[in-house]
Amino acid sequence: MSHSEEPVVWVQDVVKDFRPGFGLRRKRVLDGISFSVRRGEIFGFVGPNGAGKTTTLKILLGLIYAGSGEAAILGHRVRETAFRRDVGFLPENPYFYDFLTGREILHFYARLSGVSGESRARRVDDLLERVSLTHAADARLRTYSKGMLQRIGIAQALVHDPQVVFLDEPMSGLDPIGRKEIRDLILRLHAEGKTIFMNTHILTDVEMLCDRVAIIVKGRIRYEGRIEDFLEGERHCDLTLANLPPELAESFERQYGAELSGRGENVEFRVAEKHSGEMIRAAQGAGAEVRALAPHRVSLESIFLSAVEAGSREEKP
Amino acid sequence: MSALLRIQALAVNTVREAVRSKVLYVLLFFALVLIGTGVLLSTLSYVERERILQDVGLASIRLFGAAIAIFVGVGLIHKEVDRRTIFTILSKPVSRTEFLLGKFAGLVVTLWIQVAIMAAGFLLVSWMAGAPVNAGHGKAILLAAGELAVLAAVATLFSSFTTPMLASLFGAGFYLMGHMTRDLRELGLASGSEASARATALLHRVLPDLEAFNVSIEAVHGLPIPAAAVWQPLAYGACYAAVLLLLAAVIFERRDFR
Repeated sequence: MSHSEEPVVWVQDVVKDFRPGFGLRRKRVLDGISFSVRRGEIFGFVGPNGAGKTTTLKILLGLIYAGSGEAAILGHRVRETAFRRDVGFLPENPYFYDFLTGREILHFYARLSGVSGESRARRVDDLLERVSLTHAADARLRTYSKGMLQRIGIAQALVHDPQVVFLDEPMSGLDPIGRKEIRDLILRLHAEGKTIFMNTHILTDVEMLCDRVAIIVKGRIRYEGRIEDFLEGERHCDLTLANLPPELAESFERQYGAELSGRGENVEFRVAEKHSGEMIRAAQGAGAEVRALAPHRVSLESIFLSAVEAGSREEKP
Repeated sequence: MSALLRIQALAVNTVREAVRSKVLYVLLFFALVLIGTGVLLSTLSYVERERILQDVGLASIRLFGAAIAIFVGVGLIHKEVDRRTIFTILSKPVSRTEFLLGKFAGLVVTLWIQVAIMAAGFLLVSWMAGAPVNAGHGKAILLAAGELAVLAAVATLFSSFTTPMLASLFGAGFYLMGHMTRDLRELGLASGSEASARATALLHRVLPDLEAFNVSIEAVHGLPIPAAAVWQPLAYGACYAAVLLLLAAVIFERRDFR
């Protein structure tokens, strides 16, 4: 594997159990998950609440330890600390020292990250401008709105110019303008070549931003791959026919695997695009009329929901 | 070297938090009021007025210092985990031990600043009452500062794995027991029972001997305080605090921050 192909984030068979309370049975939160993130991509780690997204992120950042399995970032085991010079992190609903000002907190994080004195002031000023907080730089964080805190959170994640940025639900609780600002910021980071790992359950953001996704449900990875691969697959279309003889409808189901989705005067089929021409010719030959033909696009939402359903089915005995 | 800079950054931030917290000013205010009441108490006596005044003053420094050490110290780590501020800090190239040491150092510096302010109050009250001040008072205050560093380490240890409520109880227990271990050891020896003597001697070894840091009586009465009575407790305190911090680091390194 060449250096550029080496995964930036690598997770192999990671298992994590938590004990919900003293004396209670352990609960498996992560059940042997494996995935990898490539350099320069925006990776969406998608799953419903309680699926194990934040637990995975915390393992990657050394905040909790895996029960078994391995995880590495930039080729370093996640228990090490020095490599975190190249890692930025924005937690979900971040809380910062509210007795500090925006400028002070960025200086504090920059010091912890080893950013030297000369470049520190310049870097802090640049970041404040970048997240549009120059006007509030010297106000205490306790006076900041949620959107402002999210932006200062992103600024602290970038203060040491990391190669990889981990974002945990970055759009959570933001208004549409705030969400757009964060989205634009993520796209700018992507354009700069940074690798972005984003935990989220907002699928529209994933579709808009991510190159690849992994869907986690009940502690197991259900899908991992490029968004396009999920969404494209085999192209389907919805074909609506009128006056179709019932025996022909049955033969369409048998012969082309067409899914009958509506009955009555108009009959509607969901069918692979490659069969639609033959079906239309056969229908017209039998005296039926074509009322509509529309391409059907599989949404990430439908894939997500089917993954969640599959996860629930597996859990039932 | 960079580890020291990170510890320093954490310590400075801890001090800054304390300086900007109103609660500490309230405690400090009451400490200064108590030092001042020494003047009032001394007027109740016809003899040794200056000594009563200075006795109350030094006791106030030690008691309020201990209260602040336990009160602030027990929430030191727990608050960071509870409010999740630790997440962003540990996502930087900061080890958990560095974090712990930074917080501890910040707490100690905060306590020493408080001691300095209370000592200034003590000097002012002594000067106003015309009570003599000598090097013994300085030594007593220095040892009080050393005792507070040990208490800060105790509070840091308990704060690293338990809630502030439990940590307060453990911390206060350590403080009280720490001042009784010498008496307990003497009691054990006097009891005539070998088992009691051994048990109390063990307690004296394991628990901090905080009475070693108390030379208030000598200072107030102008008795000589040899150099060894100062540097030995300070060295003992440094070693004791180091062991507690090591234990705290071992516990803290193993924790999951959920």
